[in-house]
Amino acid sequence: MAQQANVGELLAMLDSPMLGVRDDVTAVFKENLNSDRGPMLVNTLVDYYLETSSQPALHILTTLQEPHDKHLLDRINEYVGKAATRLSILSLLGHVIRLQPSWKHKLSQAPLLPSLLKCLKMDTDVVVLTTGVLVLITMLPMIPQSGKQHLLDFFDIFGRLSSWCLKKPGHVAEVYLVHLHASVYALFHRLYGMYPCNFVSFLRSHYSMKENLETFEEVVKPMMEHVRIHPELVTGSKDHELDPRRWKRLETHDVVIECAKISLDPTEASYEDGYSVSHQISARFPHRSADVTTSPYADTQNSYGCATSTPYSTSRLMLLNMPGQLPQTLSSPSTRLITEPPQATLWSPSMVCGMTTPPTSPGNVPPDLSHPYSKVFGTTGGKGTPLGTPATSPPPAPLCHSDDYVHISLPQATVTPPRKEERMDSARPCLHRQHHLLNDRGSEEPPGSKGSVTLSDLPGFLGDLASEEDSIEKDKEEAAISRELSEITTAEAEPVVPRGGFDSPFYRDSLPGSQRKTHSAASSSQGASVNPEPLHSSLDKLGPDTPKQAFTPIDLPCGSADESPAGDRECQTSLETSIFTPSPCKIPPPTRVGFGSGQPPPYDHLFEVALPKTAHHFVIRKTEELLKKAKGNTEEDGVPSTSPMEVLDRLIQQGADAHSKELNKLPLPSKSVDWTHFGGSPPSDEIRTLRDQLLLLHNQLLYERFKRQQHALRNRRLLRKVIKAAALEEHNAAMKDQLKLQEKDIQMWKVSLQKEQARYNQLQEQRDTMVTKLHSQIRQLQHDREEFYNQSQELQTKLEDCRNMIAELRIELKKANNKVCHTELLLSQVSQKLSNSESVQQQMEFLNRQLLVLGEVNELYLEQLQNKHSDTTKEVEMMKAAYRKELEKNRSHVLQQTQRLDTSQKRILELESHLAKKDHLLLEQKKYLEDVKLQARGQLQAAESRYEAQKRITQVFELEILDLYGRLEKDGLLKKLEEEKAEAAEAAEERLDCCNDGCSDSMVGHNEEASGHNGETKTPRPSSARGSSGSRGGGGSSSSSSELSTPEKPPHQRAGPFSSRWETTMGEASASIPTTVGSLPSSKSFLGMKARELFRNKSESQCDEDGMTSSLSESLKTELGKDLGVEAKIPLNLDGPHPSPPTPDSVGQLHIMDYNETHHEHS
Amino acid sequence: MTEDSQRNFRSVYYEKVGFRGVEEKKSLEILLKDDRLDTEKLCTFSQRFPLPSMYRALVWKVLLGILPPHHESHAKVMMYRKEQYLDVLHALKVVRFVSDATPQAEVYLRMYQLESGKLPRSPSFPLPDDEVFLAIAKAMEEMVEDSVDCYWITRRFVNQLNTKYRDSLPQLPKAFEQYLNLEDGRLLTHLRMCSAAPKLPYDLWFKRCFAGCLPESSLQRVWDKVVSGSCKILVFVAVEILLTFKIKVMALNSAEKITKFLENIPQDSSDAIVSKAIDLWHKHCGTPVHSS
Repeated sequence: MAQQANVGELLAMLDSPMLGVRDDVTAVFKENLNSDRGPMLVNTLVDYYLETSSQPALHILTTLQEPHDKHLLDRINEYVGKAATRLSILSLLGHVIRLQPSWKHKLSQAPLLPSLLKCLKMDTDVVVLTTGVLVLITMLPMIPQSGKQHLLDFFDIFGRLSSWCLKKPGHVAEVYLVHLHASVYALFHRLYGMYPCNFVSFLRSHYSMKENLETFEEVVKPMMEHVRIHPELVTGSKDHELDPRRWKRLETHDVVIECAKISLDPTEASYEDGYSVSHQISARFPHRSADVTTSPYADTQNSYGCATSTPYSTSRLMLLNMPGQLPQTLSSPSTRLITEPPQATLWSPSMVCGMTTPPTSPGNVPPDLSHPYSKVFGTTGGKGTPLGTPATSPPPAPLCHSDDYVHISLPQATVTPPRKEERMDSARPCLHRQHHLLNDRGSEEPPGSKGSVTLSDLPGFLGDLASEEDSIEKDKEEAAISRELSEITTAEAEPVVPRGGFDSPFYRDSLPGSQRKTHSAASSSQGASVNPEPLHSSLDKLGPDTPKQAFTPIDLPCGSADESPAGDRECQTSLETSIFTPSPCKIPPPTRVGFGSGQPPPYDHLFEVALPKTAHHFVIRKTEELLKKAKGNTEEDGVPSTSPMEVLDRLIQQGADAHSKELNKLPLPSKSVDWTHFGGSPPSDEIRTLRDQLLLLHNQLLYERFKRQQHALRNRRLLRKVIKAAALEEHNAAMKDQLKLQEKDIQMWKVSLQKEQARYNQLQEQRDTMVTKLHSQIRQLQHDREEFYNQSQELQTKLEDCRNMIAELRIELKKANNKVCHTELLLSQVSQKLSNSESVQQQMEFLNRQLLVLGEVNELYLEQLQNKHSDTTKEVEMMKAAYRKELEKNRSHVLQQTQRLDTSQKRILELESHLAKKDHLLLEQKKYLEDVKLQARGQLQAAESRYEAQKRITQVFELEILDLYGRLEKDGLLKKLEEEKAEAAEAAEERLDCCNDGCSDSMVGHNEEASGHNGETKTPRPSSARGSSGSRGGGGSSSSSSELSTPEKPPHQRAGPFSSRWETTMGEASASIPTTVGSLPSSKSFLGMKARELFRNKSESQCDEDGMTSSLSESLKTELGKDLGVEAKIPLNLDGPHPSPPTPDSVGQLHIMDYNETHHEHS
Repeated sequence: MTEDSQRNFRSVYYEKVGFRGVEEKKSLEILLKDDRLDTEKLCTFSQRFPLPSMYRALVWKVLLGILPPHHESHAKVMMYRKEQYLDVLHALKVVRFVSDATPQAEVYLRMYQLESGKLPRSPSFPLPDDEVFLAIAKAMEEMVEDSVDCYWITRRFVNQLNTKYRDSLPQLPKAFEQYLNLEDGRLLTHLRMCSAAPKLPYDLWFKRCFAGCLPESSLQRVWDKVVSGSCKILVFVAVEILLTFKIKVMALNSAEKITKFLENIPQDSSDAIVSKAIDLWHKHCGTPVHSS
């Protein structure tokens, strides 16, 4: 509660006249808002504002931050519902929205929007409707994609209001309708610009109905004449234009510009579009084409400030008309537009109202003429002064200009139609902006004195202008710009236009002072000479005249304001104009001149800073300028940005208050007289309408300002782009310089390369000559060498020849020597032969003699032989006979011998055949033997298998027997235990022992002792068994253990496990018995003994074995032998012994005891 | 030359006309007349031709090694066998493992267990191997009249399965799929689709050699081949069974149904199945020819 009270106090203090207090309180509120998140404070603020419409409260509300937006919107929503507060809350909403709060995207979700739409659909108050529509139009570009669900609502509102414009339901004043119409027109533009497809389809469906046809003809159709075909109609679709992606890329001001682009209305359309177009097209003639194309847009740009104010101005017009009771004005401006199209452009309402800007005049002026002006103006108003410029000088300048233009252009347009053509022609050659500007400037002056100035006169005016008071500054500026331009045009043809646009502000800015001076004179003179006539006589007929009327008072002091509505308007206009000046509180008329004179300084210092730089480098300077401008703008923006607006609002309100006071002061009769004189409505009504109008105007103004801000935003962006482009240019230039330097380097290197090449060539030549010389020398030397070589060759051949000769000679010498030797040898031989022949002669002589002697002897012997011949024949004959007999004898002997040989040979053959037979027989025998063997083996196998089966059988039997025994003994044991239990505990220890040892064991031991079988072997066995039984396995150890179980040895270790095992086997019954077969017999009386015997045989000395088993094997062997021999009889034999004798049994036992079968056979 | 003269000159025509087995009997008799029986030849013969039933037992006994190849020792060996049989039987009776009421097949099983030393301590639940033995013994009972012969043949037969075919038996399912694929791939894919391929009654077919699956009259023709050393015939019998009942098998979709059906196939067409299976076997593995 305390807080409540506190808030109330604070609120009261908010409007205190003390500035300091006010600031403090505002700060306190803001702090509270920052700390408090509740809706209370916001609500009280809103309430307070509604009550008092306090400016500080409004300021606080418009700067609300995020968490409070919801409360604010809720509160507004709440009040929108109430008819009483609707208007004021809508204006508050308008204020809030125009500032584009950070939470503007939430608007679409807020319940406020539907209720606003509902209000627009339902409400019947024109003022509320107009305000609401303006708010809606302002809001639309902020929430483009989210507004789509309300699209139909928008269209419905449009349909409703457009029909309102025509039908005028109820008692709606025409004056309001004009406002409404203007706002509907704006809504039309907005909707068409944002959602063309949907909107067109809506129009199609809505106005196809008969009842709406009239509305279409009267209201909508004229509107449509002011728009181009939207490109989206061709490329887009209904869905596409609602697609959030389309809107995502666009900021609010983008949307506004988009909408402005499609407008053909000179007051509404966008300049930028054409600008860009020209940019693209005008590659060849950049200046001209740009100028020509931009001009139409340009003037719209100029007039932008009041572009949308057409209806507004018309209303003003009507206001003016009304007193004069001129019915013609009642027809809406649109009808006029239709009826006289050329006039319509001329007629632009802004001209009529003539309050803010000159823009309308460009519409009249032929494009080329207007273009330079527009340049200037556009740059000052639109580009040079985005939002913040009010602080700087430009704004006033446009104002003055507008005045000028109104004066100038009108006469031009109206009086000299031929001049248009002339200008059209003349404008073309004018490539440079300055010329145009100067032209305009020039043309501005004459109208006052001469009425019209031909183009040929312009240079003269130019000169005059140049010699004006600010001429020095201007000259500088001009020179700089022209230099710039020339540089730009040479270096970069295209950017000229935008550059120029940017530069011009300075240029323009410097002018106002001079201009204004000339201007005021001109205007005054004009006002004196031209205006008076139309002012009274043809107010309505000639649109252009009205502005004059409106403007004439500008020079007049404000005092006349109270006399008539016109005066009131003037007062307002003057106020408004003054608002644009940086010093908000000053009253317009006096400040204007002072302002004009006071203006240059702020720019001066800029230029002074800028100029020295131009001397250094143009490009740098330009960018600097641009940067500075931008900076200056933004800087100046920050501090006073909001103030002028506030001032404007306040001033309007103050004006209104003052006016109402004045009116109240006035005696009623006079008022009535006045009104009746003009044939108007009753004064009280009038006052109210005037107030409403004022309000509407204010709204309109705020809306226009919002638009201007959007443009300013956009301009800033464009500026940034330009700066970037400039920076890139510079970069390019730098790169070019570098390139040049490098090229120079390359040149240098090339020259040096050539030099080096030349030197190299020289050296090469020298070397070549040297080489050739050396080559010739070498050749000569080689030749010599060859000669020498040939000589040596020859000499060598000679040498060879000589050697050959020597060799030959030597050979010859040898031959000769040989011959000599040979002859010597021959000689000696011959001498020898000689001696030999001599000795042979001697021998021959001797032999001859002997021959003679022998002949004589022979004769003698022949004589003797003849004597003895008859005796020898008998003897020979006898000998022959003897020999014959002997021969016969031998022959018979030989015969005998051969006969013997034959017989023996026969015998051998016989024997051999015998032998073969025997071999064969042997083989057969062998085969047979094999056969028999096989047979026997087969039988043996059968027998063996039988034997095997027998073994198995006995095994099974044994098992069975053991099993049975086991059972028996178990029974016995149980009985015994019972007996023992029945006895006493005296023998408990023994019993225990017995039990532990295994009763069966002890019993067996006793049995053994009793049988006395082991008497002799008892002592040696334990040691031997222990020594050797390790490898023998279960059988041996079992047998020994059974022996060892006699009391003298410690039976504990050995008997323990056995007994336990026995017990377990008892428990498990049959299943585990096979595994324990080997060890079990020890405990059995009969079988155990048998087995033990056998084991003893095995384990003891060899002799035992020999005694028992060898005999066994022998008998087996013999039996087998018999088997082989007798074949048939043996099976009986084999069968016989099997069951009966103990030996096979024992063998079987052994086999069962896990003794190796083969081992057994071997033994 | 002597063989030729003894052979019937009409034999050529018999075969041409399609009477099989007429001449076989003769040639078998000739073979059996040899004093030392040539087991190789007997093997080949029994693989090539169906054995006449009157010689079947003899040939099997010879081939299974129950009888030696010599005629002279037959009587004696047989006597051994019989005595052995009686002894074992007696033993079993003594240990009260077997009574007169015990079915013959189980008697055989117990005897076999006893002889192989695997006799359990008490008559217990039969193991899978015992089941196989029982099935074979049951089938053999029908084929061989004499109980001694029957026991011995069963025993040797099972022995052969366990020793000679131990390695090849597990391979048979794979071979089966392969040949089935050759004969009728669609059927195999159907089986695979139903995932019945691994669930076919391989145990019944290959471990029990169709004992209990086919009637004995046709089964013995299959076993002729098994005894003579070829277990592959089992595969073809299985393939032929599937081919014969292809339509029915194709109609069945679940593995369980297929298995169930195959375990209880109709008996009437078994002769044809076996004949076709043998033909198929000859086709794929070639007609066995005596090597010597």
